[in-house]
Amino acid sequence: MHLSDKRFAALLMVPAAAFLTAFVAWPLARLVIDSFYEISPIKGGPREFVGLANYAEIFTSESFLGAAGRTIAYTAIVVTAEFVLGLATALLFSALGQRSSVLRTVFLYPLMIAPVVAGLLWRFLLIDNSGIVNHLLFRAGLLDSPNQIGWLSDPDIVLWAVAIPDIWLTTSFMTLVLFAGLQNIPGDLLEAARLDGAKAWTMLVRIIVPLLRPVIAVALIVRGIDAAKAFDIILIQTGGGPQNASQTLSLLIYQTMIRFREPGLASAMGTVYLLAMLAVATVAVWYIWRPGVDR
Amino acid sequence: MNGLETRRRGTRALLWTLLTSVIVLYGFPFVYLLLTSFKTPLATNAVPPTILPPVWTTANYGTALERSGVVASFTNSVSTATISTLLSLALAVPAAYGITRFRTRAGRIFIMAALVTRMVPPVAVGVPLMSTIAFLGLTDTPTGLAIAHTTISLPLSIWLMASFFEAVPYELEEAAKVDGCSRLVALWRVILPVVSGGMAVTAIFAFLASWNEFLFALLLTSVKAQTTPIVIANFQTQFGLDWGPMTALATLYSVPVILLTLVLQRHIVAGLTLGAVKG
Repeated sequence: MHLSDKRFAALLMVPAAAFLTAFVAWPLARLVIDSFYEISPIKGGPREFVGLANYAEIFTSESFLGAAGRTIAYTAIVVTAEFVLGLATALLFSALGQRSSVLRTVFLYPLMIAPVVAGLLWRFLLIDNSGIVNHLLFRAGLLDSPNQIGWLSDPDIVLWAVAIPDIWLTTSFMTLVLFAGLQNIPGDLLEAARLDGAKAWTMLVRIIVPLLRPVIAVALIVRGIDAAKAFDIILIQTGGGPQNASQTLSLLIYQTMIRFREPGLASAMGTVYLLAMLAVATVAVWYIWRPGVDR
Repeated sequence: MNGLETRRRGTRALLWTLLTSVIVLYGFPFVYLLLTSFKTPLATNAVPPTILPPVWTTANYGTALERSGVVASFTNSVSTATISTLLSLALAVPAAYGITRFRTRAGRIFIMAALVTRMVPPVAVGVPLMSTIAFLGLTDTPTGLAIAHTTISLPLSIWLMASFFEAVPYELEEAAKVDGCSRLVALWRVILPVVSGGMAVTAIFAFLASWNEFLFALLLTSVKAQTTPIVIANFQTQFGLDWGPMTALATLYSVPVILLTLVLQRHIVAGLTLGAVKG
């Protein structure tokens, strides 16, 4: 029996494609179908076709629009902070060269920690009353009292506070990727700019960042997608509270499904969330990253 | 010249100081977790908190491990992650090879589809996936959860393996073919040994994705197949805020993977930077 190369290649891809169809595409198709129904949460209970009613409801619901806004804000906070901190540390490592390699390894470690553990750990560090962070800030003279900041209990700042463990967990990724990118910038180029009298800041903005652009784009996209999907790290810290001030879309959909037992409504939210993610990410990937384009 | 050198030495010292303080700050949270796990309950909730335990005790570890379901959850985490890793590799290796070696239209479409899968929010897949897993009779089993975890790790595994296959010179395969090997034999005997390092990297990432996953574990397991992240999270609801045993369990769960990072550091760096820097 002889197969053409084309057939052989297809045959190799079939198992993975079948797996993704059965366990990703099919569940997603069901999600979309369910979004047009009002479904009783009881197993085998009645379901009634309601057309776009679920969509009409979520687009006028304050909790959905609020959660969507918070998801965008959370993603922006996480990605911006990680980029700034990640670039700064990558430049530090790069400036210090090979001798910093041991510290670079140490810097990697949070990447391996489960988000649940990171969330709980930071909840403990920031907890009202006995949290170590406030006490250290107080001892350093930065706070007037150790109870001055209610990181996870003040609705005005909680979205920033729940982002901290995420930033702590994955700034290493940003550093690592940017550091690898920095290694590819020819040293002659920087040396020439330095001899021409360029200041450090000018070199960063005019030479380093533009040359790193493709690497930066990929790092931002990868982290942006993950941050927008954040679930456990927030759930474990606040459960979305106080007053829903840290409730992002993942949490709202989960709670609509499991706690409020509204599968139809949750499916409509899930569908909108999914489509938004795909649209934003596809545009980003297509115009900035362009994978698969022969280089 | 001399002036420049001294200035540089001064800058260098400053940079080292800066970097060291960044590392200390970055390392502090986990060190504090570690120290808290050796504190007595009284010291854990003390106001103001102390950094070092006033009295060192390993009682929290005993309490954590004695709780029902804790030891079993470790077994579940290991078996779920192992099954998911094997499944991910078994599916990703041939698929990635098919994509990179033959450059068909289907291959290009497939690798884009795999990338799109990475963007799907788990919460959107999770709930409908519950009924698919139930249909297969795999609810609350490590295999059922491993299948769910593979939906996360498979797209990444395909991407990683595709990059590794791309680095294998085509001549190697041609030579194997000249020797009369069939395509499958050539893949198995000639190509796979060359990419074994890449397979190790892919395996590490698939394992970690499953080891640390929470949402699918929450939806798809209840009693028998619960993994440790779920058990850790449960410490706070059932017993109030039981920080001591919780930090002990979190330490036990994190230390193996942190040691893994230190040992396999070069592989991990390779995997993390691969797609990004090449792109």
